Amino acid sequence: MPDFGALCLLMALATSAWAVVASYNGWRIRSGELILSAERAVFITWGLVALAIVALEHLIFTDRFDLEYVASYSNRALPAMYKVAALWAGQSGSILFWLFILCSYAGLVVLLNRRRNRALMPVVVTTLSIVTAFFLILVNFIARPFVGLSHPPPDGMGMNPQLQNPFMAIHPPCLYLGYVGLTVPFAFAMAALATGQTSDTWFRTTRRFTIVSWFILGAGILLGGWWAYVELGWGGYWAWDPVENASFIPWLTATAFLHSVMIEERKKMLRVWNMSLVIMSFLLSILGTFITRSGVISSVHSFTRSDIGPMFAGFLGLCVVVSVGLLLHRLPLLKSEHRLDSFVSRESTFLFNNLLLVGAAFAVLWGTIFPIVSEAVRGVKITVGPPFFNEIFVPITFAILTLSAICPIIAWRRATPHKLLEKIQIPFWGMVATTAVMVAFGMRDVFAIVSFGLSAFVIVTTVMEFYWGTRARRRATGEPPIAAFWNLLDRNKRRYGGFVVHLGIILIVIGVTGSSAFKQEATAVLGRGEVFSIGRFGLRLEEIVSQDTPNHEFLGARLAVLDGGRQVGTLTPGQNFYKAGQDPSTEVDIRSTLREDLYLIMTGFDPQQGRATLKAYINPLVNWIWIGGAVLILGSWFAMIPDLRERRRTAEARLQDLQPHAV
Amino acid sequence: MRSDGLSTALMLTALLLASAGDLRGAEPTPQERAEHALMCYCGCADLTIRTCSCGTAARVKEDIARRLASGETVDQVVLAYVAQHGEQIRSAPTKEGFNLLAWVVPFGAILVAGGLIVALVRRWQARGALEQAAVAAAGAVSPPAGLSSADRKALDRIEREFRRDL
Repeated sequence: MPDFGALCLLMALATSAWAVVASYNGWRIRSGELILSAERAVFITWGLVALAIVALEHLIFTDRFDLEYVASYSNRALPAMYKVAALWAGQSGSILFWLFILCSYAGLVVLLNRRRNRALMPVVVTTLSIVTAFFLILVNFIARPFVGLSHPPPDGMGMNPQLQNPFMAIHPPCLYLGYVGLTVPFAFAMAALATGQTSDTWFRTTRRFTIVSWFILGAGILLGGWWAYVELGWGGYWAWDPVENASFIPWLTATAFLHSVMIEERKKMLRVWNMSLVIMSFLLSILGTFITRSGVISSVHSFTRSDIGPMFAGFLGLCVVVSVGLLLHRLPLLKSEHRLDSFVSRESTFLFNNLLLVGAAFAVLWGTIFPIVSEAVRGVKITVGPPFFNEIFVPITFAILTLSAICPIIAWRRATPHKLLEKIQIPFWGMVATTAVMVAFGMRDVFAIVSFGLSAFVIVTTVMEFYWGTRARRRATGEPPIAAFWNLLDRNKRRYGGFVVHLGIILIVIGVTGSSAFKQEATAVLGRGEVFSIGRFGLRLEEIVSQDTPNHEFLGARLAVLDGGRQVGTLTPGQNFYKAGQDPSTEVDIRSTLREDLYLIMTGFDPQQGRATLKAYINPLVNWIWIGGAVLILGSWFAMIPDLRERRRTAEARLQDLQPHAV
Repeated sequence: MRSDGLSTALMLTALLLASAGDLRGAEPTPQERAEHALMCYCGCADLTIRTCSCGTAARVKEDIARRLASGETVDQVVLAYVAQHGEQIRSAPTKEGFNLLAWVVPFGAILVAGGLIVALVRRWQARGALEQAAVAAAGAVSPPAGLSSADRKALDRIEREFRRDL
């Protein structure tokens, strides 16, 4: 079976190489047969990579510890769900999984475009196949998942205990789906540049892929936060570590693209900028993988020692040279009629919104790579940790929130100050009222007051947009309110789906603000029957409990949760001691409500004295982060529902591409 | 009248925030400041001493409390740890020398790019104004003689639609 898997990967490398050669030459000499052959090769590559995945999973499930990967990341007692997840628990497996997702996207693109975008597709297939071939080179020669062991151990080392969590089983697939999905708009952008067909087709065709990648990446980031929250046991969900940052940076540039592409659709402006954003998002997703896989952040020297680092650096360099070269070559074709009627217009706010989003991405990237810069320039290793990112990111976020409130109500082309002031009145008073109420109720944290105030500003603006739209529709058509509201949404899904996404983001901001500004914590060492308090809660140790499973032994402390002297529940934080011999992992327990989370960790236990060391946090409003994530997904899904008008515009753009053009 | 209301609201917000600032009681304690300024070196995650809940962090917290109680300042506590573990133990770069770049570059880049955008928008706005003037001049030309009223209406409608779609 290991040989079968390795053979599949080798054959997949050959078929993807063929796809590159055939599609490129098919495009150059206009050979339909070569192009068709390349597209078939994409499907065959997908099938071969899928077989390799099946082979690896089979080896994991059958406990074949004669394979290095299985011995390192699985063991006999590992539950079935984590045996599936073991596929992405190690470096070579995760690259293989990444590759599988990329091949799936490539197959889907070919399938969906077999009768359309025929002029673009050969270069799209070439681009996708080049990226596929790169990852296939990695899994065939650098990070090989099918390496055998001459002396197989009787049992495997098992999966890292912290990865044995249901969120961890779905978080990486989400991140990968998001990351890799950004390759599709990049491939279409490259095709548009290479063929000279730089009209709207490329981004209209890939709009849905971009939104899907964007929201799945966002969901993946949130799931990662959720995993960190429930598994890592430090009471938080985001630590600004390089792996988290690597996923957040392309998400920010993709967000900028989703906004600025609206200007291109409406005004035919910013064509070079939009192309650059798509290229940037793809390159940043590769850079993120390079940063997290090469070990370059822990030390610049580990980069040269890592097998995978130089490969990624080389591929990244190649992508930069080719994509920027093509962009510069096609600049004359991308010239747009930049014309603005007024500084006070929605177009201007979109430009500044893009500036802030890309600025935020740059700030996070700069903070992430600054340790490397410092080590390379001064020879001194430094840390750029959460305090730096919080200080840099908060003001940028506030500016983005302000623009999110103004942007939807400011008119396209030209907004008169009078009209703008008229529309901004209610949201602004909403912000003032919120601020006043918070101060009146004793809130004294300026960061929280500004954040909640701006959130109220955005919420009122967004709700007013729904209200004004429904009212206008009622007046125009005489429909009853609910029908008018529904038809309003139905006729402009992208606009109103986008507003729902804004609401989701604001809920996340509210959750982050509440849980960071008003967090409380307490530590205590308790014996049976003893009580300690945090906030309005009392926690009484009832008993020490243990539970044995085939995979691990759980040792925990059962505590009664008291609120005003009345018991409102029990919590059992503890630790898992894995039989595969790894370090114990913390198992937190959380009493979760919309108001706050009572988060409990058992950091230690003294068996002689029967006393447990406990740490408790109160994290206010933290649940709104996850609710905001769900709202964000709902809004994105709504914005993606096929729209007749959008189909018409895409068809028109394709017709435009059929006109004679310079190649 | 409305802009008066808005000015009042702005002043009110500024006053509220200023009063909130004056009354801010959530200033971190020296212990919290020292814990925030240092990274945990237990190796389990990129967390500050303040947020990490491992045994190493607990020991460092106790040591910080002891040092502060003995009269050391937060800066002295941090410097003692830097002397022992190197620059890497600071949770953020210092705001001096080469490290100042870490803080200045992101905002500097945003300001420079913002300036460029303002310049670009002004240029595009001037171009727009020129084109509008040209359209207005073209519009001042009288319609061809002999146009029927139906044709005139149709022309008006097309003009309206054209302007709406702009």
